[in-house]
Amino acid sequence: MALDNKILDEINELKRKYEDERSCLLPALYLFQREYGWLSPEALERVAEILNIPKATVKGVSTFYAMFSHKPMGRHLIQLCTNVACMIMGGERLLDILKGRYGLEPNLTTPDRRFSLVIMECIGACDTAPAMLVDTDLHGNLTEENIIGILERYE
Amino acid sequence: MITITIDGKKISFERPVTILDAARAAGIHIPTLCHHDILKPYGGCRLCLVEVEKVPKLQTACSQYVSDGMVVRTETEKVVDARRAVLEFLLINHPLDCPHCDKAGECELQDLAAKYGPAMGRFAEGKRRYPENLEDPLIVRNRERCILCLRCVRMCDDVQGASALSVTGRGSKSYIEPFSGGAYDCEYCGNCLAVCPVGAITSRTHRHGFRPWLMEKEVETVCSYCGVGCSLVLQVRNNSVVRSVPRSGLGLNRGLLCSKGRFGYDCLNYGDRLDAPLMRRNGVLERVTWTEAINCIADRMKEIKRENGSDAIAGIVSGRCTNEDAYVFQKFFRGAIGTNNIDSVAGMAYGPAQRFFEKILVQGVTANPIQGISDSDGIFVIGGDPTAINPVLGLQVRSASKKGVPVIVVGHPGGLKRYSKRAFIMNSAAETVFLAALVDEIKRRRPLPGERPVLEEIINGFRPAPLEDASKMSGFGPNDLVDTAHALSNMSRPSIIIGRDIVQTDTGHMNLLFLAALTYLLNGRIYLLSELPNEQGVLDMGCQPDMLPSGRPLTVETFRKRCEETLGIIIPPAPGLSYAEMTEAAHEGRIKALYVMGEDMVLGLPDSNYVRGALRNIEFLVVQDRFFTETAKYADVVLPALSWAEKEGSYTNLERRIQLTRKAVEGESIEEWKVISEISKTFGLHMGYRSAADIFSEIARVSQIYRELTLEGIADGKSVWPYRGGPLRYDMHTEGTKLPDIVSVMEESGMSGVHVRREAHLFHSQNASRYSPALLSITPEPHLKIGDILADRLSVKDGDRVKVSTDAGSIVLSARRDPCLPDNVVLASTFDGGGIFEITKWRVNPITKAPASDVNGVVIDKEEAITVLHKDRADSLVGG
Ligand code: SF4
Ligand code: SF4
Ligand code: SF4
Ligand code: FES
Repeated sequence: MALDNKILDEINELKRKYEDERSCLLPALYLFQREYGWLSPEALERVAEILNIPKATVKGVSTFYAMFSHKPMGRHLIQLCTNVACMIMGGERLLDILKGRYGLEPNLTTPDRRFSLVIMECIGACDTAPAMLVDTDLHGNLTEENIIGILERYE
Repeated sequence: MITITIDGKKISFERPVTILDAARAAGIHIPTLCHHDILKPYGGCRLCLVEVEKVPKLQTACSQYVSDGMVVRTETEKVVDARRAVLEFLLINHPLDCPHCDKAGECELQDLAAKYGPAMGRFAEGKRRYPENLEDPLIVRNRERCILCLRCVRMCDDVQGASALSVTGRGSKSYIEPFSGGAYDCEYCGNCLAVCPVGAITSRTHRHGFRPWLMEKEVETVCSYCGVGCSLVLQVRNNSVVRSVPRSGLGLNRGLLCSKGRFGYDCLNYGDRLDAPLMRRNGVLERVTWTEAINCIADRMKEIKRENGSDAIAGIVSGRCTNEDAYVFQKFFRGAIGTNNIDSVAGMAYGPAQRFFEKILVQGVTANPIQGISDSDGIFVIGGDPTAINPVLGLQVRSASKKGVPVIVVGHPGGLKRYSKRAFIMNSAAETVFLAALVDEIKRRRPLPGERPVLEEIINGFRPAPLEDASKMSGFGPNDLVDTAHALSNMSRPSIIIGRDIVQTDTGHMNLLFLAALTYLLNGRIYLLSELPNEQGVLDMGCQPDMLPSGRPLTVETFRKRCEETLGIIIPPAPGLSYAEMTEAAHEGRIKALYVMGEDMVLGLPDSNYVRGALRNIEFLVVQDRFFTETAKYADVVLPALSWAEKEGSYTNLERRIQLTRKAVEGESIEEWKVISEISKTFGLHMGYRSAADIFSEIARVSQIYRELTLEGIADGKSVWPYRGGPLRYDMHTEGTKLPDIVSVMEESGMSGVHVRREAHLFHSQNASRYSPALLSITPEPHLKIGDILADRLSVKDGDRVKVSTDAGSIVLSARRDPCLPDNVVLASTFDGGGIFEITKWRVNPITKAPASDVNGVVIDKEEAITVLHKDRADSLVGG
C-alpha cells in the first residue's frame, strides 16, 4: 500500500506524544480508517510494522472496536439507529426506503460504492429520533420523505 | 511467615503464594481450567473459586495470593454451586462432539464436567456453529470448542514470545485467530495446542488417528533435532510414534518444544526409509544381504589399505550420531584401519570455536546452563539467530529481554527482532572490523582483569581500524559503534551467544579471537549454538583428527600410549585430516575410501558442486544413513541406519549435559555400532559390545571427561559439566595465535558487491527435516531474503523467482522481502538443497579449517519463467 507521507507524519507525531508505541495503536488505526475508509489486512500490517507491535495483536485490538471496519466501505457510511426510541418513531421503516432506493441493506455497500449501511444501537440522538449519522454528520427527525433528499447531498 | 487455614488445615509460607499453590502444598485439590503451570496467573475461567472468610465474594484461587490469617474453604456448598454454574455456562456453546474430538480422553473440560458439572444444561437456544478451520497445514482450529481461557494466547505472547495469536472480535463473537484468520504465520512451536485444555487447537499430524487411552507406551527421550536436547515423550502405538510431547516437569525445556521437536518426529515414519543394504553392481545400486554388504566393505577397505595405505581411508560422522556410535566409529578407524582421518560436521565451526575458547580462556568455558541466559544482565548475539537454530534456548533470550535485559545482535535479528535493542547487519569482513572496533572501545572503558597475560597481550597488541573506517565499512555511524561498546561495557555478566556463521568465514579465526577478548573483558558466558543434537558428543568421543577419545591431544605420546593400553589398539601418532581437508583430499584423489555415517555431505558442505566432484573421485564410498541422501547417490555401499528413536544411546548437548536417548520403536535395521563392530571383526579387531551401556562403560574407562559415568547414571539428565570434577591437565598453548591486522582485512576483503549469507532456518535442520512432511509443509523450499532497497531496485516482489549466481553456480529461489536487510546483504537458506551451498565457492580458512558458508559478489536477477526446483528429488528418493 502506498502510504502517503501525511499519515506517516501524523503517526510520528503520535509517537512523540505517547510514552510507548502501544499507546499509539488506537489513534494510528483511526488515521488509517480515516484515510482509506476501512482497515484492510495490509493496513493492519503496516500499523504493526510502523509501531513494532505484533500484527496479530493489532488485529485483536482493531476487531474489538465496532468503529473500525474490516471490510471495504462505501464513500459514505450511514449509521442508522433502530434502537427503542428510533424504532418507535419509525426508524425501521426507513430501512425499506434505503433498500428500495439504493438496494442498500444492513452491513452491505451499494455496488457503486457510494453508501455503506450499519445499524446502530443508539447514537445518542433520541431527542430527534429517528436519527442517523452520515459519516460524521448527524441527521435527526428523519421521515420517509426527507431521508432521500438528505442522502442525495452525499455524492 | 504467613499462616493460613485451608479446609481446616493450617499451613505456613515464607513468601506469599497463590491460594492454589497453598492448597496444593496442603494436598488439597482445587479444579482449574484457565490456569496452567507454565503460564502466569490469569483468573479468567472462574472455575477455581473458593470461599475466603471475611471476603463477601468467592475468590479465584489461581490468582489470589494468601495473606496471614486467611481462612479458605474449597468445598462448601456455595463453591460447589458456583463451579457447577461456571461449567454450565461453558457448556452452553461447547459442542458435545467428544466422540470425534481428538482431545477426548485428555480433555480438561470433559474431565471437569464429568466430575463437577451439572447433569444437564438449561440453556434452550442453539449452540453456535462454525466449520473447523483447515487452512493451515499443521494446526486445526475449532472455534466451537473454544472456551476462551486464553491459555494459547498467553502462551504465544508471554512464553513463546511469537505473539501470533489474538482474540478477535468481542463478546460471544470472540475467536482465537492468527493474523490471517486461517493459516498460521508463526513459529509453529505448537505450544499453544499443547496448553489448550479442550480440542479447539489440535495438530493435524495425528488428526483422528490418536486416542490417548489406546497408546501402548510412552518413552521419555531427547529430541534429535538440535543441540539444546529438549526432553520429550514419544507416544507409541503399533510400533510407530504417533505423537511427541514435552512434560512440564521434565528436562531443561520444562514443557516447551519448538516446531522441530513437536512436529518433526514424522521423519521416523517417512515412507522411503532405507531398510536393506544396497551395493553397486554394474553401476546400479542393488539390494543385498548384510553379509554381502559387510564383506564387500571389508574386502574393498583392506584392498585400499594394502595398496594406498591407511591414510587413504577416511571417516565422517554426523552430529546426529549417538555418543556410542561415534565412539565405536573412531575406534574402528584408529584401531582397525589405522588412521586418524576422522571428523564430523562439528569440526567445521562448533569444534574449532570451542577449542579456541578453551585454549585461550579456560577448559569448559562453553559449558553454561541454558537457563542461565535469562539471568544475565546483557546478551550479545552473533553468527546466527538463536530462536531459529536452538529455538528453546532462544526463548531464554526473549525472556531476558522482556525483563529489560539489553540484547545486541550482530547479524540478522530474525526471531529477536522485537527483542533486541540493536541489530547490526553487514557483510562478514565488516563484521570482523566491527568486532575489533568494539573490543578496542570496550578496552578503553573496562580495565583488563589481569588474569590471562597471553590474552591481554593480544588485546593490547592488535591494531583496530580507525573508528570512521570501521563505521563506513559496516554501514553504521561511529556513534552506533560507540554506544554499543558503551552498552556492552556496562554489563557485568553477559551471555555471549555465538553461531557458526561467524566461524565459517574467511576471517573466522579473527572473529574468534575478538569474541574471546570480548568475553574476557566483559566477564561473559559463552553459548555456542549447535545445529545438531550431538556435536559436543562426537567431539568428546574423539571423532576429531587430532584428539583421542580420552579428550586429550593424540600428539602427546603419554596420552596416546595410555589410550592404546586401555583399549588394546595401536593409534597412529600423526593427526589425520579434518572434514574440509578430507573433502579436498578426495577431490585430489588422495582419499580412496570414505565411510560417511549419517551425514549428507552434498547438502551439508558449502559448494555442493565441489563436494559432488570430491565424491565422484572417491573409489569406494560407504554411506550409512536412514534415508537415500544426496551423498548416498554416489555410494558403492549404502547401509540402512536406525533413527534415534529406534536405539539406546546418549547425546551431549551444547551445555555439555549428557542425556539418554531411549528406544521407543523397533527399526528395520541394525544399530550402527553393531554393524561397525562386525566390519571391525574382519580386520581382527573384536569389540564384543552387547549393548550401548557396554560401550558407554568403555567410554567411561578411557575418557578423562566421562570417567566413572554410566549410561544408567546419566538417565536423570542431570549429568552436567564437569561431571566428576577434575579438569583435564594438559598444557594449553596459545601458539599460532597470530595478531590480526585489521587494516589488511579491509584492504583485502574487496567486499563491495552483494554478499550472500546463510540463513539457518527455524523449520529445518540439515538433512533430517527434508524427510519430515510436516516440517516441509510449513516451508517447502529454500528462499532468498532480500532488503527493500535492493528489491525495489530489481523490482522484486514477495514470491518472485530470483536467480542468484556466483562463479560457483546459480540457483533460483523465491524472494522474500525483508525490511531489516541493508542493500548489500541477502540471506539464503540451506535446507533441502537448492540453497546457498550450491553457489558458495569452496574456501577453507587455513587456521580454523572451516569452509566458508558465505560468498561475496553475487549477481541477482529476477527470473521471468518459473523454474521448478528439485525436479530430480522424487526420483532420487526412490533410489536412482
Ligand atoms: S504454534 Fe507457537 S508461535 Fe504459533 S501460534 Fe501457537 S504458540 Fe504461537
Ligand atoms: S483455543 Fe483453547 S487455549 Fe485458546 S482460548 Fe480457546 S480453549 Fe483456551
Ligand atoms: S529446541 Fe532443539 S532440542 Fe528442543 S525441541 Fe527444538 S529442535 Fe528439539
Ligand atoms: S483457573 Fe482460576 S480462574 Fe481459571
